Amino acid sequence: MRRVVTAAVLAALVCLATGPGAAQPVQKLKLGVLKLTSSAVLFLGVERGYFKEFGIDPELVYFQAAQPIAVALASGDIEVGATGLTAGLYNIVTGGVRIWIVADKGREWPDYNLSALVVRTDLYDAGVRTLRDLKGKKIGVTQIGSTFHYNVGRYLEKEGMALRDVELVPLQALPALNDALTARRVDAVATAEPFVSRLESSGAGRVIVNTGDTFPWQIATVMYSDKFARDRARAVAFMRGYVKASRAYYDAVLAQKSGPAHDEVVRLTARYTGAAPELIRRGLPYQDRDGRLMSGDVGRQMAWWHEHGLVKARLAEKDIVDESFLREALKNAGR
Amino acid sequence: MTRLPVPDRTRALARRRHPVARVLGLLGLVLAWEGVTRTGWVPPLFLPSPLGVLAAGAEMLTTGELAVHIATSLRRIVLGFGLGALGGVSVGLAVGVFSLAEAIGNPLIAATFPIPKIALLPLLILWLGIGEASKVAVIMLGVFFPMAINTYTGVRHADPLLIRAAVSFGAGRWSVIRKVMLPSALPMIFAGLKLGAGTSLLLLVAAEMIAANSGIGFLILNAQNLMETTKLMVGIVLLSLLGLASHWLLVRLERAALPWRAEA
Repeated sequence: MRRVVTAAVLAALVCLATGPGAAQPVQKLKLGVLKLTSSAVLFLGVERGYFKEFGIDPELVYFQAAQPIAVALASGDIEVGATGLTAGLYNIVTGGVRIWIVADKGREWPDYNLSALVVRTDLYDAGVRTLRDLKGKKIGVTQIGSTFHYNVGRYLEKEGMALRDVELVPLQALPALNDALTARRVDAVATAEPFVSRLESSGAGRVIVNTGDTFPWQIATVMYSDKFARDRARAVAFMRGYVKASRAYYDAVLAQKSGPAHDEVVRLTARYTGAAPELIRRGLPYQDRDGRLMSGDVGRQMAWWHEHGLVKARLAEKDIVDESFLREALKNAGR
Repeated sequence: MTRLPVPDRTRALARRRHPVARVLGLLGLVLAWEGVTRTGWVPPLFLPSPLGVLAAGAEMLTTGELAVHIATSLRRIVLGFGLGALGGVSVGLAVGVFSLAEAIGNPLIAATFPIPKIALLPLLILWLGIGEASKVAVIMLGVFFPMAINTYTGVRHADPLLIRAAVSFGAGRWSVIRKVMLPSALPMIFAGLKLGAGTSLLLLVAAEMIAANSGIGFLILNAQNLMETTKLMVGIVLLSLLGLASHWLLVRLERAALPWRAEA
């Protein structure tokens, strides 16, 4: 009797383990993201099961800054990363470990808020309204070599100034930037949504430069580890899910400024990031509907970093950018 | 008369110096490290070769980059360590000599000593800002406690016979402190200094990893952010050299201050 029961229990367990979908196995992978508004498209893809439709089950792994995601891609701890492009990423690839930039995940674009330069309210009220007024002041960034470092450098050059005209203070994490500005330990911070909106709504800071309006660039991308890129079938399958998510995102929040679909994206992004929905609504970034990269921008970034001595050598774009997964995924993706 | 051979059975306990083994051990490690990187099993991004680190260090030295970091870190350490040691010895002496100071100071030290000083860093930054003051202060606190406790212990363990002898020869209070208590506490004070030197390196790096623009800790963190592993290794080697140098200096100082302890 006892033996029969044991056998039955075992059989039940086996059934549970394999499940009904055993015929078409769903493959798990780790997807590194930041808890930022700009990760909305990935939250949408995971939430609506777009990746699962193509047999991929991404597990979201949260990071504090973009650079650790690049390191995790290099070491193989995660298969896919979706975050900003840093000097450290380019140095990893120059150092001989491959990482592939495969699709758009957010651009600085006119009339869209993503990253910005926020100055302390008391300084703003005292007349600090342009970069010229920030000469010699302390500007908080996450890390040296981060997208924010790049932003500040580009803002300054646009004004005919240079990085040596200000003092960059690396504070390591985005929440630390908000704390430092609120505690008046720095004069301005270069940060991203929803932190920008948080600072404005708390009254601690005022935006003086919106990056997208100043100079559009390819700030964030989807990246593959080399091992995952070699697993062609899965890499393309992930991209099919991503294209679906990207189009749904574009149609819901970029093509229209309100509506039930818009609200749904805002709501779920708020849930994933822990920020208030009204803050999320103000900072949904622009990206290409089909996930295509801004042509030539990765090369421009590498040239800038190299010129400033933060990237050791210049790479050809083909050694770090690979849009073939995207092209293949787009082939029979309809419109 | 027959001579009985007496085997020296304590020979196994003798601590010989093995000078060759000392060098070989270190050399072997470096050679094995260079070998592993030469084979290409480990990409240089994760483990740069010793020669590469040396070359990077030399290059940073010629560009003057290294000098800035070393100078900044040394200034922070010397200030923090000096102030901490001075404060620690004074408080330790006071608590060891005066019963009122002991009654007040002992529980205070016992209550604050166990706090890891790194945990105080955010608070210090809030109070003193992100500049030099908070960095020096955290090193100072880290050195203060081992110094105070060691000095106190040293003073309390001064031979009472010597103290009485000094008093019976007509020595006054200050004379006893200066000529008996302080010298007999010196070995403990130096043990505290060595402890404090290690702690101050640790705290220096921790402090420089938060909102710094220069220093060895910044160099390491910055190299990590930019994935310049070779520079990161230069920083680590630098810390190791700094540790060695401070130890060597303290041993020298100890020999000069304690000539009666020949073996020290």
